[in-house]
Amino acid sequence: MSGGYNEIHPEPTTFWSKYIFSFDHKVIAKQFLWYGIFFLGVGGLMALLIRWTLANPGVPVPIIGNLLFSGSGGVVPPDTYAMLFTMHGTIMIFYAITPILIGAFGNYCIPLMIGARDMAFPLLNMLSFWFAFLSGVVLLISLIIPQGAAAGGWTSYPTLSTLIGSPGAGQTLWCLAIFIFGISSTMGAVNYVTTVITLRAPGMGYFDMPLTVWGLWLTAILNAIFVPVLGAGVILLILDRVFGTTFFLAGASATSGSGDPVLFQHVFWIFGHPEVYILILPAWGIVSDLLSFFSRKPAFGAKATALSMTSISVLSTVVYGHHMFTTQMSPLLTQSFMTLTMTISIPSAIFFANWLGTIWKGSIRFDSPMLFSLGVVFVFGLGGLTGLHLGTTTTDLFLHDTYFVVGHFHYTMAASVLLGGFAGIYFWFPKMFGRMMNEGLAKVHFWGTMIPLNGIFFGMLLVGYGGMHRRIYNPFIYESLQRLIPVNNLITTSAILMGAFQLVFVYNFIKSLMSGEKAVNNPWEVGTLEWTIPSPPPHHNYDIIPVVKCGPHELGNPNLKTGRDFQYQTEELVEA
Amino acid sequence: MNLLKMGVSAGWLDYFRPPENISTTAHLIDDLFNYTTLMVTFYFILVCIGLFGFSYLYSRKRNKTPYYTYGNKKKHLIVTAFIGAAVFLSIDLNITRIANNDLVNTFWKFPDHKNEKVLRVEVMAQQWMWSFRYTGPDNEFGTADDIVTNNDLRVPVNTKVLFHLTAKDVIHSFFVPSVRLKVDTIPGRITRVWWEVTKPGKYDIACAEMCGTHHYLMKAGLTVYTEEDFNKWLASSSLIAANTNDPQDANLAWGWKWEE
Amino acid sequence: MSTRGRSELQINLATNIVIISMAMLFATLFMGYAIYRSSAPVWPPMGVQRVSLLLPSLSTVVLFISSFFCYQVSVSTKKNELSKGHKYLNLTILFGLGFMVLQGLLWNQMKSSGLFVSSGIFASITYAFTWIHFAHMVAGLVALLYLKKILKPETTNLMTKTTSVENFWYFLEIVWIIMFITLFVF
Repeated sequence: MSGGYNEIHPEPTTFWSKYIFSFDHKVIAKQFLWYGIFFLGVGGLMALLIRWTLANPGVPVPIIGNLLFSGSGGVVPPDTYAMLFTMHGTIMIFYAITPILIGAFGNYCIPLMIGARDMAFPLLNMLSFWFAFLSGVVLLISLIIPQGAAAGGWTSYPTLSTLIGSPGAGQTLWCLAIFIFGISSTMGAVNYVTTVITLRAPGMGYFDMPLTVWGLWLTAILNAIFVPVLGAGVILLILDRVFGTTFFLAGASATSGSGDPVLFQHVFWIFGHPEVYILILPAWGIVSDLLSFFSRKPAFGAKATALSMTSISVLSTVVYGHHMFTTQMSPLLTQSFMTLTMTISIPSAIFFANWLGTIWKGSIRFDSPMLFSLGVVFVFGLGGLTGLHLGTTTTDLFLHDTYFVVGHFHYTMAASVLLGGFAGIYFWFPKMFGRMMNEGLAKVHFWGTMIPLNGIFFGMLLVGYGGMHRRIYNPFIYESLQRLIPVNNLITTSAILMGAFQLVFVYNFIKSLMSGEKAVNNPWEVGTLEWTIPSPPPHHNYDIIPVVKCGPHELGNPNLKTGRDFQYQTEELVEA
Repeated sequence: MNLLKMGVSAGWLDYFRPPENISTTAHLIDDLFNYTTLMVTFYFILVCIGLFGFSYLYSRKRNKTPYYTYGNKKKHLIVTAFIGAAVFLSIDLNITRIANNDLVNTFWKFPDHKNEKVLRVEVMAQQWMWSFRYTGPDNEFGTADDIVTNNDLRVPVNTKVLFHLTAKDVIHSFFVPSVRLKVDTIPGRITRVWWEVTKPGKYDIACAEMCGTHHYLMKAGLTVYTEEDFNKWLASSSLIAANTNDPQDANLAWGWKWEE
Repeated sequence: MSTRGRSELQINLATNIVIISMAMLFATLFMGYAIYRSSAPVWPPMGVQRVSLLLPSLSTVVLFISSFFCYQVSVSTKKNELSKGHKYLNLTILFGLGFMVLQGLLWNQMKSSGLFVSSGIFASITYAFTWIHFAHMVAGLVALLYLKKILKPETTNLMTKTTSVENFWYFLEIVWIIMFITLFVF
C-alpha cells in the first residue's frame, strides 16, 4: 500500500469549524446533501410549474401563481416558461444530482468504504464545497435580475445563447455559474481519484472495493477529463457575450465577423455525453452493491460489472455526435457516431445480466434500499432501451427534440438517479446520523414515487412518439397534437402526485433525524468497512486502520461459523 | 390499423401512434421504430421476468438459503457474454444496418433537379416565422419573379421536393411530423432535406429547436395539392409576385443562388 | 490542518490530474481553432493582417529562459543547495513576470494596429487564447510563490513538491509554444 497518512486534521471545537468550514469529509458530505436537496426542491417546483402550464395553458397556477407571476394574473408567461425549463435542467443536473450523488455520497462513502480517515486533500475538499456554494449563489442571483435568467435551454446553444438571442445578464451569469461549478467539480475529481488510488486500506485491491466506490471513482475520472471541455465552451461563450469575440456568431446579425455555432454543440456534447454517464455511474455502483446486500449473496460477476462500468466510461467519450444528427454532420461522422453508440449496449447488457444474476437464487429482503434498487433496474432498463431508438440516426430524425428524448433521459437520468439516490440515502442514513428512518413511511415513499414516475415518463415517450416537440409553451395550437391532451394531463397529474409523495420523504427524514430509533453499528448486517465502526463514526473514522482480508460482498457463505451470514472485509475469507 | 391511418380515433390506441404518415419515406422510419420497439420490448420483458420473477421466487420467505456464488465460473461468464452478444447482434447491428441503408439509399440520395422532376424550395427560418421561396417561371432563385410565402408551404403530391434551408438569427429546426423528418436550420450555413408526399391535405410544420420566447408559435402550414391545383396556385402566385414584388423590400430579399 | 505523512504519490497524482484537466481545456480550444481554420477559405481571413512576430517571439524566448531557471531550481533542490534554489526561483519568477508584461505589450500592439477583440474570428482566437493562457500563468505564478514559501529544509516531500510546481510551469511553457507556432508563426 503506497499510502497516505494516518494523522488527520484535529477534531474541531468551534461551531464554525465543526459545521461551516469543516475539513471532515463526513461534514462536507452533509453540506453537499443539504445543498443538493434544497436545489432538488427548487428544480422540482420548476418542473411542476412547467407541467401545470403544459396541461392547463392560460390557467393561473394555483396557490403560488399570483405570488410568482403577479404581472400576468398568476399564469406562467412564455418567456418565464423558457427560463423555467432552462433552469430546471441546469439545476437538476448540476445543483441537485451532482451534489447529492457525487458530492454527498462521494465524500461520505469513499473514505469510509476504503478504510481511510479522510480524503487525500481535506482543504481542497472544503474549497470544492464552497466553490459549489458560490456557483449556486450566482445562479440564484440570475433568477432575480431584471431581464431574468438564462432561457435558451440547459444546452444553451448559440446563437440563441449569444447576445443575438439572449440579451441581458442572465445567460452570462449562467455561464459564470457553470464555470465556477466546473472548478468545484474538478477539485472534487482530483480528490476522489487520488484518494481511491492512494488511501485504500492495506489488503484492499481494486477489485475488493465496493462497486459504489468504483462508480464514484470512474465518475471522478470522467469529471477530471471532461468538465474542462465544458469550461472552455462557456469561457468562449462569455467572451462572445462580454468582449465581442465571434466564436459562435453567424447569420445576419454577425456584423463583426462570424464563427461557428455548431462548434459549440460539438464542445458541449464532448462534455455532455460523458456527463450523463458521470451522473449515472454512482447510482449504478450503489445499486450493484445494494442488490447483493439485500439478496444476501455476493454481487454476481462483480469484477465483470466493474470492468463493464469502466468500458462504458471509455466508450462514452466517442459517441457524443448522436446528439447532433439533425445538424447534418458529414455522412462519415454520422455513421461512425451511430455505430459507436450501439456498442454501449454490450457492457450495459452485461451488468444488467449481473444485476439479475445477483438477485437470482438470493434470499431477498425488501427493505426500502432494496426496493429503490430494484426500481432502478426497472427504470434504467426501460430508459436505456429507448436509447436505441435515439441512437439510430433515421429514427432520431423523427424523435430528436420531441418528448421521446425527454422521456428517455428522464428515465435514465432522473428516475434512475433519483431512485438510486434515495436507495443510498435510506441505506446510509443510519451511518450518517446514527438513527434509523421509518421503514413504513419509506415504503409509502417508494410506491408513491415509483408508480407516478412511470406515468410521467412513459407518458412523455408516448407524446413524443406522437410528434410533440419539446420546449414549447402551448402544444395545443398544433391540431396534430390535440389528441394527446389526455396523455399530457396524465403526465401532469402523475407529476403532482409524485411531487406530493416526496413530502413523505422529507417528513420521514426530519422526524428520523430528531427522534428516529438509534442505529447500531451495522443495522443492515453487511460487511463493508463503514459498518465495522459506530453509527455515526467518530471524527477520525477508524481507531486503527483496518486490514482487508476479503471482498465487499461476502454474504451467504454456508461455511461461516460466526452465526452471521456475512463476513466483514476485515475477516479472513472462509473457503466455501 | 386502417382506422388509425384514416385519422379516426380508436380510443386509447390513439395515444400509441405517431402522426399520420403522408410521405414515401416515412414508413422506413416507422418500420424501424417498430422493429426496435419489438426487440427492445422482448428484452425488457425478459428483464421484468427476471426482476419480478426472482423477487417473487427468491424472497426471504420463500428461499431461506441464498446460493453462494461470485458469478465468475465459466458457465456464468458464458451466459453473461451470450446475453451481451445477443442484445448487440439482434438489435444493435440490425438497426444500424437498416438505418445505414436507409440513409445511404434514400435520405441522403438527394434528387438532381437537372435530371428529374423536383420542386426546389428555399427555406429561411427566423424568430419566429418560416419563409419559403419558390423560383418563378425563370427557374432561378433570387430574381424578381420568386414566390415568397410566410408560414405557408405548398407542395404538389407525388413530387419530390428538395429543400435548401438556412436561418437568419438563431438555430431553428424544420420539422414536419407527418413526414417524420427534421433538419436544423443554422445561421451561416445551408442544410438540405428532400421528401415526397403521397396524400393531399393540410398538415403541421413545427420548429424543433428552442429558438426563443415564441418558439412554440413557429408553426407553419403544409398544404399538399394535387398536381393540377398546385400548378394553378404556382401560376397565379408568380403572376402576383411578378406584378407586386418590390425589389426594395428587405423581407423578400433573403433568397440566395441555388448551389448543389 | 496536517500535511504530515502525505505521500509522494498523492502529490504527483494530484498535480498530474490538474495538468490533464487544464490540458483538456486547451485541447478543446485548439480543436476549435483547427475547425475554424480548416473551414475558412483563406487564413488569416480576408482583410486581416497577421500579428507581427517580434513580441510573440520575444515572449517565447523569455518564457523559455524562465523554464530553464525553473529546471535549475529543481537541480539545486535535489542537491540540497536551497539558497541557490531560491536564487533560481527568483529568476524564474522574474522572467515569468517578464513574459506577462510582454503579453500586455502584445495586446496593446494588436490594438494599435487595428486588431481589436471584436474584429472577427482571427482576433477572437488570438486574444482569447492568449488571455486564457495568461490566466493560467497567474495560477503558475501563485504556485511559484508557494514554492518560494516552502523551499526550506524542514518542508516534507520538498523534492516532490518542487518537481510538481516545475512540471506545471513546463506545462504552461508547452502550451505557449503550441500557441506561438499555431497562432503566430503558421
